[in-house]
Amino acid sequence: MKSENGFYGQYGGSYIPEILYSSQQQILTTFEEAKNDPSFVAELHKQWQQYSGRPTPLTHCENLTQHLGGAQVYLKREDLNHSGAHKMNNVIGQGLLVKRMGKKRVIAETGAGQHGIATALVASRLGLECTIYMGAKDVARQYPNVFWMRQLGATVVPVKTGSQTLRDALDEALRDWSSSYEDSHYLIGTACGCAPFPEMVTYFQSVIGQEVQRQSLAQFDQLPDRLYACVGGGSNALGLFTPFLEDKEVEMVGVEAAGRGMDMGDHSIRLSHNLGQAGIAQGFASVFLQDDQGQLQETHSIAAGLDYVGVSPIVAHLAETQRVRMSYANDEEVLAACSLLLQKEGIIPALESSHALAVAFKEAADMRPDQHIVINLSGRGDKDIFNVAKAFDDKEFAPFLEEYLKNYHEQDTVQDLSESLSQETHA
Amino acid sequence: MSQLANFINAKQPLTSQPLAMTHVIYGYPSIEASLEWMQALLEMGVETLEVQFPFSDPVADGPSIVQACHKALESEPKIQQCLTDLGRLGRDYPNSKILLMSYLNPVYRFGITKLVKEAAEQGLTGLILPDLPIEHAAEYQDACVEHNLDAIWLITPNMPTERIKQIATQATGMLYCVSRSGVTGQKSSLQTEFDLAAYLAEIRQHTDVPLAVGFGIRSPQQVAELTGLADIAIVGSALLDAHNQGGIATGKAMVANLFPQLA
Repeated sequence: MKSENGFYGQYGGSYIPEILYSSQQQILTTFEEAKNDPSFVAELHKQWQQYSGRPTPLTHCENLTQHLGGAQVYLKREDLNHSGAHKMNNVIGQGLLVKRMGKKRVIAETGAGQHGIATALVASRLGLECTIYMGAKDVARQYPNVFWMRQLGATVVPVKTGSQTLRDALDEALRDWSSSYEDSHYLIGTACGCAPFPEMVTYFQSVIGQEVQRQSLAQFDQLPDRLYACVGGGSNALGLFTPFLEDKEVEMVGVEAAGRGMDMGDHSIRLSHNLGQAGIAQGFASVFLQDDQGQLQETHSIAAGLDYVGVSPIVAHLAETQRVRMSYANDEEVLAACSLLLQKEGIIPALESSHALAVAFKEAADMRPDQHIVINLSGRGDKDIFNVAKAFDDKEFAPFLEEYLKNYHEQDTVQDLSESLSQETHA
Repeated sequence: MSQLANFINAKQPLTSQPLAMTHVIYGYPSIEASLEWMQALLEMGVETLEVQFPFSDPVADGPSIVQACHKALESEPKIQQCLTDLGRLGRDYPNSKILLMSYLNPVYRFGITKLVKEAAEQGLTGLILPDLPIEHAAEYQDACVEHNLDAIWLITPNMPTERIKQIATQATGMLYCVSRSGVTGQKSSLQTEFDLAAYLAEIRQHTDVPLAVGFGIRSPQQVAELTGLADIAIVGSALLDAHNQGGIATGKAMVANLFPQLA
């Protein structure tokens, strides 16, 4: 979606500290040039295909369709990207821009760790230094991702200020960029931040919807009747929706995280029910969860990738103009939808994507069998094993962890011993 | 002509030594205590007092100020009450000028035109909004002209000449000249590789408003080096650190040490 000088209706813009002005202008110019440069676009498609495995399939879920007894259910399989989520599409694109600008280092924020991993993967492949900011609470919740980022050579900085989650990580990444802009690029993971990030991230993610257009015509001879996507920052939703904006007959549904209740701090619903208000923070104007003094508030979701206090200015605008209908699913509904997909289709969905599943499954039952819905399965669920095992109240998971931990320490001792033995031998 | 510029120029700081601009966070460590601290500074005769209304996500600030802002939010400060409190202080100390600094969102929620109007009514002389770029500021600038309040803009190192010109030619009251990249409170401000004199000279080519220099000022030498180059030296994080360490007494000692005219 094209902006008016970085604005989408009343949202968007560039509200950053003055020190970042030149860097922001450089990104604007580089992005404009790159997307009009056939060699850049060709390289982008090559990397998407050869490194990330695109195009991802559009999977017809026949068992689920029969079970729900309504519309034909299709999943866009972004979970099959390298790194296991749609995040890779954007990181590959921005990574190529970093090379084009001649910068040596990337900075990124991450919530659940999916964007952090994708960034660390691409940085490693392109030979870039990489620093990832992650809220200290998220580091504790998602340590396996932190482990991989570090193995990939990234520096992971736990952010201990404020709510110690995604929004604080974003603040800290902006602070880093304020002193490192000469050789560093801030690789934002979602369609938020100052212009041109919302437009640029949407551009790189739109490959999702473009493939769905072709695949739906090839597989069922028409465009889908409805599209569903979860909305955290908004990048997977915009990736699916954007190519269909002019197709007025295609309905679009964005799903926010209703968490564990409707009190402030228990959910991340920014756009439905006027729970969020217009504001300007973190570099852009959008809708934020805030109090009457304009202070940003805490959020919750069982899916770490959805508990963001703001939302893409493009999604805020599309919701305000009613091009996108906003809905929500709570933690319980999300787990039930995740479970249903596991049982009926043999696919393990991320908890983020399961929000879109929850609302789509509910609504599909009321549709006709000649109608088609496409749900963006933005990521795979392997990363959620700890949370899901706990939520499903798996009786053997905790004993397994205890046993594993016991053996882990014993193996440590064995390994230390063998290492010291081998050192002695060498000596 | 701007009240603030007249006030600064009348003291002829370029020929003697830079005036003081001391930074304080409203509500830190409590509203009452922050007002006492402001009063102590005004009592010393600081020429300008910069009061930051706290925000949950202060992206241009470093760790000292970020932590103080989060602490300040625990007492749930209200911008309306802040204006009233600053108005009272201003009337008690008419020989100093008070400036309000805030990130955009609290101001936006309050109403930007309403804030300018009420700040002017309370006798404040200027506003600093570090995340409002000048190209998005038409409504704010109009309100400032109408209510005779100065919108204070920031100039930063490595800024293209065209941009310096664009901002400097719209400046009123003073320009806040950031002396290095990064956020507030980091070390080494007036570093050798950065030619501060040339930087300030370039800004002077485009404006005759007073120049205030800030970011990283911690020592009397740094303030003294600004003599003849800048009108005002801004002390923020260093003063907060001193105040954290030993309260009002330590904070006052630092101000007296940095600014001999106030000792």
